[in-house]
Amino acid sequence: MTVRVIDVRESVMARNNEIAATVRQRVEAEGVLALNLVSSPGAGKTTLLERTLDALGDEMAIAVVTGDVQTQNDADRIARHTSALVQAVVTGGACHLDARQVDRALEAIDLAHTDLLVIENVGNLVCPAAWDLGEHAKIVLFSVTEGEDKPLKYPRMFREARGAVMTKIDLLPHLSFDLARAVGAMREVNPELEIFLTSATTGDGMDAWLGYLRREVARASTAHGALRG
Amino acid sequence: MHEMSVALEVCRIAEARLAHEKLDRLVGVGVVVGDQAGIEPANLQFCLDTLLAQPPFRRATARIERCVGDTLRVDYLEVDE
Repeated sequence: MTVRVIDVRESVMARNNEIAATVRQRVEAEGVLALNLVSSPGAGKTTLLERTLDALGDEMAIAVVTGDVQTQNDADRIARHTSALVQAVVTGGACHLDARQVDRALEAIDLAHTDLLVIENVGNLVCPAAWDLGEHAKIVLFSVTEGEDKPLKYPRMFREARGAVMTKIDLLPHLSFDLARAVGAMREVNPELEIFLTSATTGDGMDAWLGYLRREVARASTAHGALRG
Repeated sequence: MHEMSVALEVCRIAEARLAHEKLDRLVGVGVVVGDQAGIEPANLQFCLDTLLAQPPFRRATARIERCVGDTLRVDYLEVDE
């Protein structure tokens, strides 16, 4: 047997990143803002999306892709808050969405008549941080029922995110959760992180979150208009 | 937790390279994994060993080298000519 060594030096993520780049081109070509919602399971991604659709559904066209390990329960919940098609991706055990799945899901979405694409990733603070889906920004959700040091335990996710939505703040009076410590941990990992303190139940803080979405959607649309001349 | 996804992608890269080189016998594959790559090396080794024991591979071996950072790449292939 004659063994030869072939130098490869190819990133394992290269193929995913190529597809993610095409997803990004597709949404940018239509002036669509694409956000990737990430969090641990149960942080409130679906509930935040429901409230967001209720509040903004009449003023902008929002398309949703949901990822779940099993069931399409989240997609069914979200579908009750929008007339637009909700694309459910069941990963069948995989702990994250990948760009190929999003690329495929976009086939059924009318991007020309979409302002905002929200991808609800699988609940997991580790794996989704490593996979580019073609989004413009990752938004990490962090609920007050979790530990204050979560950003320090999962730094890559908080470093990759552009925004952080703290959820369930209506529960603070019932918990020993130290909000200042949690915000400090996020700032320590990512000083640029834009942080929103919200309760989807009471509506507290939702205006700031919705304002951020309006601003970013307008920015994506303006950038698209400038490109078109 | 996504080591099997990564292992499948390593195998896809190896298969594509073997096809490109018109070779069919993989002996080994070297993978570099950074300490910030979000990968558990022992878990990845298990996944690669499982996949490389099956067709189209014939008991090829995987060697994982650690480094600092978020590097995750197929470094080299060993092929039987």
